[in-house]
Amino acid sequence: MRRFFAFIVITCIVTLAASAQEGGVIVYSYPANAGPINPHMYSPNQMYAQEMVYEPLVSLGDDGRIHPCLAESWEVSDDGLVYIFHLRRDVRFSDGAVFDAHVASRNFDHILANRARHAWLELANVITAHEAVDEFTFRLTLTTPYYPTLEDLSLPRPFRFLSPNAFPDDGITRDGIKTPVGTGPWQVAAMRLGEYDRFVPNDHYWGKKPVPAGVLVKVIPDPVSRALALQTGEIDLVLGQGQIGFDTFAAMRADPAYATGVSDTVGTMAVAINSARAPTDDLRVRQAIQHMVDKDALIGGVFLGAQPRADFLFAPSVPYADIGLKPYGYDLEQAGRLLDDAGWRLEPGQTVRMRDGAPLVIDYCFVGNDAAQKAAAEVLQGMAARVGMLLNLVGEEEDSYYRRQKDGNFGMIVNPTWGPPFEPHAMLGSMRSASHADYQAQLGLPMKADLDAAITRVMRSVDETERAALYRDILTTLHDQAIYLPLHYAALLSVHRPDRLEGVHFGPGKSKYPFEDFQKKD
Amino acid sequence: MLRYILIRLALLIPILLGVSLVVFILLRTGENDPALSYLRLSNIPPTDHALAEARTALGLDLPLPEQYLNWLGRAVRLDFGISYVTGAPVTRHLLHYLPNTLYLAAVSLVLTVVLSLPLGIIGAVWKNRWPDHLTRALAYIGVSTPSFWLGFVLILVFSVKLGWLPSMGIGGWRYVLLPALSVALMSMCINMRLIRGSMLEQMHSRPVLYAKIRGVMPGRILGGHVLRNSLIPVVTALGMHIGEILGGAVVAEVVFSWPGVGRYAVSAIMNRDFPVMQCFILMMTLIFVLCNLLTDILYAFIDPRIHLETSNNA
Amino acid sequence: MPDSVATAIPSTPWRSRAATMMLVLSLCVLALLLAMAVFAPWIAPYPPDHIDLAARLSGPTADHLLGTDHLGRDILSRLIWGARVSLGAVALIAVCILVTGFAVGSIAGWMGGWVDSVIMRVCEVFMTFPTFILAMFLVGVLGRGITNVILAIVLTHWAWYARLTRSMIISVRNRDYILAARVAGGGRARIFSRHIAKPVLAQLLILATLDLGHMMLHVSGLSFLGLGIQAPTPEWGVMINDARALIWTNPGLVVLPGLMILLTVLACNIPGDYLRDRLDPALADEGH
Repeated sequence: MRRFFAFIVITCIVTLAASAQEGGVIVYSYPANAGPINPHMYSPNQMYAQEMVYEPLVSLGDDGRIHPCLAESWEVSDDGLVYIFHLRRDVRFSDGAVFDAHVASRNFDHILANRARHAWLELANVITAHEAVDEFTFRLTLTTPYYPTLEDLSLPRPFRFLSPNAFPDDGITRDGIKTPVGTGPWQVAAMRLGEYDRFVPNDHYWGKKPVPAGVLVKVIPDPVSRALALQTGEIDLVLGQGQIGFDTFAAMRADPAYATGVSDTVGTMAVAINSARAPTDDLRVRQAIQHMVDKDALIGGVFLGAQPRADFLFAPSVPYADIGLKPYGYDLEQAGRLLDDAGWRLEPGQTVRMRDGAPLVIDYCFVGNDAAQKAAAEVLQGMAARVGMLLNLVGEEEDSYYRRQKDGNFGMIVNPTWGPPFEPHAMLGSMRSASHADYQAQLGLPMKADLDAAITRVMRSVDETERAALYRDILTTLHDQAIYLPLHYAALLSVHRPDRLEGVHFGPGKSKYPFEDFQKKD
Repeated sequence: MLRYILIRLALLIPILLGVSLVVFILLRTGENDPALSYLRLSNIPPTDHALAEARTALGLDLPLPEQYLNWLGRAVRLDFGISYVTGAPVTRHLLHYLPNTLYLAAVSLVLTVVLSLPLGIIGAVWKNRWPDHLTRALAYIGVSTPSFWLGFVLILVFSVKLGWLPSMGIGGWRYVLLPALSVALMSMCINMRLIRGSMLEQMHSRPVLYAKIRGVMPGRILGGHVLRNSLIPVVTALGMHIGEILGGAVVAEVVFSWPGVGRYAVSAIMNRDFPVMQCFILMMTLIFVLCNLLTDILYAFIDPRIHLETSNNA
Repeated sequence: MPDSVATAIPSTPWRSRAATMMLVLSLCVLALLLAMAVFAPWIAPYPPDHIDLAARLSGPTADHLLGTDHLGRDILSRLIWGARVSLGAVALIAVCILVTGFAVGSIAGWMGGWVDSVIMRVCEVFMTFPTFILAMFLVGVLGRGITNVILAIVLTHWAWYARLTRSMIISVRNRDYILAARVAGGGRARIFSRHIAKPVLAQLLILATLDLGHMMLHVSGLSFLGLGIQAPTPEWGVMINDARALIWTNPGLVVLPGLMILLTVLACNIPGDYLRDRLDPALADEGH
């Protein structure tokens, strides 16, 4: 009952605020509720909401570089072990509390008390001390040099800051927070499970005040319903990855009633090829797979041109990745020759190549209920058939799919990269861990041990040229060994009605949606 | 009558125990590994160490019977554990969504009964004349229409083309109409034919023939004997429809983005969020079982012969 | 018996010319569908999984009489192959359910006593689950795919048939003419087969015929939720599921497989209705 009254009161306030302010409320949709919006935890906390409510010390800019955020400036010691951050002095949480180095330190106490949970992120493993030097100076000390420290700090989670009033009375933030209160441009006004989450501007925000009077995020799990809701005006905006089908997107792009957008690259849709299992343990078979795929046809037919074609594991825009590798071209004859050389012969009248009485069959694993992955798999199956290779489609529940990633039980497996700011360092770092498909796929490489050692060295390196050289070696090896079949670079899509909304653009990274810049029209 | 109800209620306990056992065993069969699901859904890298830790934390390292008893003990107190996806207590979430589903199902059931009764009677009374043919055609088409397909057609017509009704979500009465209609159509059509068939059967039964011979007014025969007796199989069928309607509601919730248990459960099944799946099926089963019990009581109430026999057998 | 019923009630709709036409028509449709299912490899113009991205989402052309889907696959070919998968799955499901349900139900109904109680308790455990929801759950647990879908639907439905069988048997067991036959010294087995099994089976058959479409809708409903038969299998439900993403751009793609389901179910229901009118035990009473 108390919750109900609180809800009524908040709704009244929101309504009053909305009527008092210009701008109106933007209606967006998401497949699930935003969750408790705990800055230090993962699912079911949605990253877009964490980005709206909380801020990091340093943030990823639109240019892909690190910019000041809650820290105005910073210094790194020559040995790369000590980071000193000078914090902004005008930052308040949406509940009015002041943000200073002590609050920052307290947040780090809670984050690092749950270190095992963040172990996937190398920074969490190497922080040895954190302290408030004075009221607005915060110091981090590492056990070993770790060059992507600032990149890791800019992530949507876990290194973001909760109001001192919102910490749990006992225990740590891992076990729950009182309320989601941060320093970001938005604060939570109302949440209704399965229906919507509502955000209003944070009156204490230090930056530019949000243009709209609020953001209402409706829960719509399904892209088809979302497209219909946009059409019937029940939502104003579609923005993100997988929010809308490619055909619908293409149709809306052609329709002047809608304005559409395609973001910069936020990762690569790649397929990992297992070098530890026949028949893909043969380099020539892996190379043949690279040559047999007509990526342009795939992108035109399945993604309708809305995703750019990918030739490399990492887009050239990714740091250290623009090293002038030569793409594998679409060449059926070359693919056939390679397979012939490898001993896989196509007998007259047969459709599948044979070697020693065994057919050329490869398990292709993907998440079965992902419409785009499913369509891509069916197309690849058709392309493989043209060179006498049988792709056996294994479209499964996410569970089974992840089990295959972990135990290497696949011939080929869909393996998207993580996108900025995880690339290349965090993604490469994970290749050393047995629970990733990358590790399993690379296991058959003769130089796997050297590869892992090089990845470890690159993280510890404090010398820029050495890092670049190491990255060049690693990425060249992966490319030459044809371990990954890159299909397309992933881009976010946006659709809105220009008569209802303007100023729509993408934020940096995958999960930052800059609602504060959008303008609702009446 | 009271004794019958009490006996039936008591009999529910072993049945529900059986149900819970079946659910528990099913979830532990096959290649399911709740610990792996838990780690994946919590975005924890599934290293062997993390897996072992999760197994201990989830009590999966205990012997199966002990796991079952632990689980049952908590389930009786409505504690189905924590959802792997949301990290929140499963029961709280499902109970949050349940009223929406019951609302949709209830409206659908009301639509079913309200529409099928007059149409069924019309079909029987004007047998083989045009009203009967019309309802027959409607029934054929209604029974043959996939409800989710109907849902899309309704959205296309009433939301997109005409703009009369919302295409998704929950709100005022306008929001429930399309989903309820897509759920109810099939049950309505089946029920309408059942009523018609059952009434015709009664019209040719001996007591009615005798009544006719005795010269009782046709209207009184229809209202008294025929209708009352035709309702017996219809009441049984209604029990069946409740299952249909609950199942239909699940599909309609997905089509119409209706925030009910079904939509929640479908995503849980996709994710293999085991605690939610368990709670979902047990909750729906409990509702269904209570509805069936109600049907049986009603059935026994209308036809005392069955009541005596069943309770003697029981 | 059935013949005499037909003559005893001259107004039965199946005597009218139009009704007979409908029956014949629906039987023809059914035969056509069966032929499609059996001869799919020979009559389909393309293999069902032949992808041609250049021709995707083309309308009806000389090459593709009914157009193509989002991967440029020929819709006509997929519909023809779909008949095989959909009808095959549903027929298998129906036979399994009918056999199990009738056997179990008649044992319970005829034997009575504790056997009845035990069987009914087992049935009730299965019936306590709402069918579609248990099917969803089973597929969720067992994994997707055609075998698991068939298994799930059989497991969730047999008990209904068993209970119906039982209740019908109980309701006729004590009727005048059965009692009369017993008094007259008829053997149990003979009474059962002559006076009970026949009408009960007839009823079950009608229900099963009417249920065929219902089963088909279950299968396609599961596919729709992404829990059923998986692509690229050309099943009508899967086709609707595939086309669902295109309902905004190509609503027509949803129509054809939906119409196939509708047509099939209609073609099953009309003979089912005919059977009901001919073999209905209540009407049979009249002619007795």
